[in-house]
Amino acid sequence: MTCSFKFTVDGFGRSLSQEEKISVIESFSFMAFEGPIKMKNPDAEFFVCEEYGEPDNPLPKETPKMIWFGRLLGQGSRDLIDKFDVKKRKYLGNTTMDAELSLVMANQALARNGALVYDPFVGTGSFLLTCSHFGAYSMGSDIDGRQIRGTAGFRRGVDGISANLAQYGLADRVLDTVVFDICRNPWRDGPMFDAIVTDPPYGVRAGAKRLGRKNGTLPELSLKVVDGVENHRRSDYLPPTVPYEMSDVIGDLLGFAAEKLVVGGRLVYWLPTVAGEYDPKDLPVHPVLRVVANSEQPFGGWSRRLVTMEKIAPLQGDASAELPEHAPAHRNFRDRYFSKFEAITPETE
Amino acid sequence: MRLLTHNMLKCHVKNCTDPDKQYPLRFKDVQIEQIEYEPNEEFLVRMLPRLDWTALVKTAKDLNIAIPDSVPEDPASDQEFLQKLHTIIMETHVTEGSMVCDGCSHEYKITKGIANMLLAEHEI
Repeated sequence: MTCSFKFTVDGFGRSLSQEEKISVIESFSFMAFEGPIKMKNPDAEFFVCEEYGEPDNPLPKETPKMIWFGRLLGQGSRDLIDKFDVKKRKYLGNTTMDAELSLVMANQALARNGALVYDPFVGTGSFLLTCSHFGAYSMGSDIDGRQIRGTAGFRRGVDGISANLAQYGLADRVLDTVVFDICRNPWRDGPMFDAIVTDPPYGVRAGAKRLGRKNGTLPELSLKVVDGVENHRRSDYLPPTVPYEMSDVIGDLLGFAAEKLVVGGRLVYWLPTVAGEYDPKDLPVHPVLRVVANSEQPFGGWSRRLVTMEKIAPLQGDASAELPEHAPAHRNFRDRYFSKFEAITPETE
Repeated sequence: MRLLTHNMLKCHVKNCTDPDKQYPLRFKDVQIEQIEYEPNEEFLVRMLPRLDWTALVKTAKDLNIAIPDSVPEDPASDQEFLQKLHTIIMETHVTEGSMVCDGCSHEYKITKGIANMLLAEHEI
């Protein structure tokens, strides 16, 4: 055996002196390792852990409770939780997803080298960072351009999403962020994305909006001429928006994913729901999307579920999302949230 | 905004449905910046079938960027082609200007590399 190697010896419940550690390593001399010892990036790394029970009353040095031996095959990526810790991030907003869940979502989406990932509710771009960390190329869009540009939220004056790209060195793989309403999106026809990863707005901390005008208010203000220019051509024109109901958001998202994902591509999204009323039948389904995983993160009165779906066949004809026939527990989530999830009775309905 | 993203966007104004006019959007008064990145051949090859090559050629010529007229038969093994493709769709950024629809004349503004594709209320 001529590959380079390294041993790590550790005591659990009793700390071992350097001499004790070396004697443990020497005890492996019968193995005839011929390769050089290399402390940094060795070809093979071995670990010996001697377990001595409770630290305040350890077993004698000669008789450990157990000796564990192993060879390093791979490492977990828990250090990434620290790397992407939102507290260390230059730019964030009030709905920025925490680092661990953003990383889990990137894994669920199979974010990998060469894939193209898209977030239609990009906000401050957490998922672009984690997906692109794993080698994927990413894009995002949002109806609110202030989030993308960094002209809203509590870290104003920082250069928006691009500040985070510079911080994490991901400007080569986070491709673009564009401002539009996913309900009226300008993507051309056909499948384009390997994954869609998103946290849809459920209207509690950030109001969910879509383009439109409420019935009964003055229409067509966009055509009004102001200072010789039609209103909608002025640089500060913001089109009117109306609230976007949670169950509509999810239905639209499934329809969008069914069209825009390539076959084998994944949709990963959060579904907030009222804890006691959730029924698996609440999940909207689609003929070309198969549920891969559905995991709950409970918060007491409500919970959110991380749903992973895979596109299993090309979209044919007019197949569309099938929304549950009953009222799902996520319908009118915002109102339910602010009424502290009181049970719906016939009187209050 | 990269030309890859531009290749994926069309005009989506209500009643603007002529496929020959709503796509590709025509650049107007643009500022362009080239930023070098390491090419990723796997990604480029994967994107090729998802690109509209005719639209890309038209756009590149509008911007006076040299582009091969057609995709070679075996692009995965044509390093020279992939490098050119990388330069065009990944390294070319439109930082300011706008994209105009030839069908309805809607002008989508690009500011600091971010395109505003929102529609006015009479357009939805």
